[in-house]
Amino acid sequence: MRECKIVSKKFEIENAHTLAVAKKHGAYASLEKLKEYSPLEIINIIQESKLRGKGGGGASAAEKWALMPQTGDKPSFLVVNCDESEPGTFKDRQIISKDPHLLLEGILLTCYAIKAKHAYIYIRGEYFQFQKILQAAIDEAYAEGLLTECDITIHRGAGAYICGEKSALLESMEGKRGHPRLKPKQKEPEWFFNNPALVNNVETIASVPFIVQNGAEVYKAFGTKQSPGTLLFAMSGHVERPGVYEAEFGTSMMEYINHFGGGIKNGKKLKAVIPGGVSCGVLTAKECENLTLDYEALRHIGSSLGTGGMIIMDEDTDMIEALKNILEFYHEESCGQCTPCREGTGWSDKLVAKILDKRGTKEDIDKLLEIADTMDGKTICVFAPSVSIVIVSFISKFRDEFEAALCVK
Amino acid sequence: MREMIDIIVDSKTYKAQNGSLLIDLLIREKIKVPYFCYHESLGADGNCRMCMVEIEGQKRPQIACDTLIKPNMQVRSNSENICKVRTDILELELINHPVDCPTCDQAGECSLQDFYMDYGLHNTKITIQEKVKHAKHVDLGSNVMLDQERCVLCARCTRFTDKITHTHELGIIGRGDEAKVSTMPGRKLDNPYAMNVVDLCPVGALTSKDFRFHQRVWFLQTSNSVCHGCAKGCNIYIDHNKMKYQDDVIYRFRPRRNDAVNGFFICDEGRLSYKDLQENRQESILLYEEETQENKALQELKNLIENYKEKITLIVDANLFTDEIEALVAFAKSISATLYSPLEIYKDENFKDDMLKSANRAANYKTIENLNINTTLPTKNALVINFNHPLDFEADVQINFTTHKRGKNRLTFPIAAFSENAGHLTNEDSIMQECQKAVFKNNPAPTIVEWLQKVRS
Amino acid sequence: MNFIFTEENLIKIEALKLRYPSPQALCLPCLWMAQHQEGYISINAIDAISETLGIAPMEVYRVATFYTMFHLEPQEKLNVQVCKTLSCKLCGSDAILEHLKNKEVNIIHTECLGSCGTAPVMQINDTFYENLTPEKVDAILKELL
Repeated sequence: MRECKIVSKKFEIENAHTLAVAKKHGAYASLEKLKEYSPLEIINIIQESKLRGKGGGGASAAEKWALMPQTGDKPSFLVVNCDESEPGTFKDRQIISKDPHLLLEGILLTCYAIKAKHAYIYIRGEYFQFQKILQAAIDEAYAEGLLTECDITIHRGAGAYICGEKSALLESMEGKRGHPRLKPKQKEPEWFFNNPALVNNVETIASVPFIVQNGAEVYKAFGTKQSPGTLLFAMSGHVERPGVYEAEFGTSMMEYINHFGGGIKNGKKLKAVIPGGVSCGVLTAKECENLTLDYEALRHIGSSLGTGGMIIMDEDTDMIEALKNILEFYHEESCGQCTPCREGTGWSDKLVAKILDKRGTKEDIDKLLEIADTMDGKTICVFAPSVSIVIVSFISKFRDEFEAALCVK
Repeated sequence: MREMIDIIVDSKTYKAQNGSLLIDLLIREKIKVPYFCYHESLGADGNCRMCMVEIEGQKRPQIACDTLIKPNMQVRSNSENICKVRTDILELELINHPVDCPTCDQAGECSLQDFYMDYGLHNTKITIQEKVKHAKHVDLGSNVMLDQERCVLCARCTRFTDKITHTHELGIIGRGDEAKVSTMPGRKLDNPYAMNVVDLCPVGALTSKDFRFHQRVWFLQTSNSVCHGCAKGCNIYIDHNKMKYQDDVIYRFRPRRNDAVNGFFICDEGRLSYKDLQENRQESILLYEEETQENKALQELKNLIENYKEKITLIVDANLFTDEIEALVAFAKSISATLYSPLEIYKDENFKDDMLKSANRAANYKTIENLNINTTLPTKNALVINFNHPLDFEADVQINFTTHKRGKNRLTFPIAAFSENAGHLTNEDSIMQECQKAVFKNNPAPTIVEWLQKVRS
Repeated sequence: MNFIFTEENLIKIEALKLRYPSPQALCLPCLWMAQHQEGYISINAIDAISETLGIAPMEVYRVATFYTMFHLEPQEKLNVQVCKTLSCKLCGSDAILEHLKNKEVNIIHTECLGSCGTAPVMQINDTFYENLTPEKVDAILKELL
């Protein structure tokens, strides 16, 4: 397996979170390129690199950047999404705690490209100990005179999964409840107090310095044609060495699990993998056999790559219990705005609890699938559709387990 | 003005403004579409997800409240697929709803009930008994009662206090299926328009303490009228009912939409002013404070008019219908009386606000001005005939035509209140409006016009 | 009892106001400051924030109730937030929860803390404790209690 450390280059270096060490290892070198390139040229480079958003959606980064106005009276803002709340995902915290200056460097480049004078980093409330490291890095950068063109402010969340959704995040930053906004009718930037704003994931922004410094071609040399570059893939659950390991898109999933993760814990057999945070459809061991880790391959088998945070489940895992666990999460985290989600998450959670409790009937399974259908594509944001995917994938792939648990078969 | 274009809904063509909201067209054209959260006064919020329609070329159903009309748009509002979607979402809406219609005051005018009938869920598949429990009978203040379990979280009420009154008393707190409407702990809903949230609430979550349990809505008859609380002339519905062997009784006023006058709302004071129409009413004819016969009283009146010729002052209430005021102008001329309508008394700067409440608390003062009636206080009065003006005047003799009981006078004639009569009003913005006769009393008092005919004959 | 922001917090608030297009953005930061100051967010604190930011108390209150990390009641015992989401569950969070049951702490079953690679995990105040075992939990609590 080819080593490719683009974002995680300094992760192993001691004290790389301090400016002195980071600089010694090349931090902020890419800023030199700003003397050479105009803002639009930076966007072009990102466009050529085909950098995709690494927060889970995988949309083209440059397309979003290009929506930001290059002229106008209103100030533009960059908002870095560090709400990292998708269960199974713990990659962004590696960046902000091990190499925060990489993120700041990326922010400076991005703000230059989109002509933003202020960047906010929205960090989930639970990450306070990492926030302190990040704040120290920002303070150092200010002291060093690196932030003369652009201010950076950390904005702390307070415990709401939905705030990882970009419009809910902006609502939250505006001091409101984290309710996702209605989708715009045409392609346009996001809005922060009616000012244009770009929302990008931490890892996306942290990938920018490498691309600007080395050029799009060098970046594209990694990964696949449609999913170029690398991702901080991660493993958790039943695996010997859980953790975050950067790999290029297109890497074989099983090879990744075996190479970095040391295989399934205690020599057990693999049963299932949730490929990129719990919102992605679950995969059976068989489906994982020849699977590669890229957006297209995962979509091809009806799941998605998401954040690349894989949850590994061994042969002893009770899939009803696993589904119950995930639905509890959604039940707890639904913002409650749209009816199908507010009521559907609670109802499906209770139904699976009933099945887990051996009180379920066949009708309950059918009802679960019906609720999943009602939750799919009928709400403001993709929270409910994700729940729908989870329910359908668990039941369709492990139906025998659910049926075996019914009280009346 | 945006251009008018054609769009097709259920294979029928309609004219609509390019870029306007699809749901507005559906509502205007009375095309059946269920919705809780949308309200024309509050705009789209998109949370209830009930107003789903199919739009040609769109993979998924779309909510009509967040769909802008475009040229060549083809909409299906009643296909089998879309009805199923609505049924499914409604089923979810009902999971945690108590379904206590028999004891719910909203029954009969409840959107949830109506949609249930339209998208019938006659065989519920809800197999889980435990519903999310919330508070019932919460007294929010301002005559508004909250039942959190019946709430569909459409946020109309909270948007009302946010966007319309800007008083922000109500909010949705908590999240997920634990979310609920609430005030701040220990605080009340407290603004002069608060009771509008009862009308806005599509279900039985917010009910009026003043109205609840007094009458089932399906017994009520509704008449169009205009509030007499001030010169704004807010349009209202008078909901009343005459039960067997009883008199016709008004149970409530509700706002009636008129974009040129009051929009969708009325103030609480105006809303509750119906009570005044039923309390302390003058019902009999009095001569020297003694009940008397109509012909005896009329004869006394005619004698007085004869005796005080050239020394008669007629006083007109600026709340009377234009029709009545005009009749009084003619009457005054016929008996050579001078006509006054002192307006100063109606001024109430404390009542005024920048929404609907006017400092002129006389519904038809504009007509008094238009007819050039003297609005100052009359001096030197010999015989005063007062047609319901609130002031009493010093005079040798005072005669009152009055809706309500008042002080001692030579003669007192009861008259019909505006709800018991039909007529016109001109509001402070010179808009002429009509009031229907709503209430038919068992023993109705004559109207002023009827009295004048009796005096002349 | 009235709530008054400390001098230090007031300075912070004024500095933060300059960093946002509208003071309403300071809602979450102010709620955090109030919670750090008093250990929870009182209604008086909500009123103080509302006054500081020029928004209605309800606009602050409904926000405070949306986010799980804000406490609207005084916290009497040590809050131990144990992650119970899938990766932690697969790695034995149930045993940790069971083990904590008899301790003098307030156990909060919390959703994913973003520490799946070092599961099971708990958070006390602002610190993560990772790769937990019952023995490790004992040692941590001994230190804190």
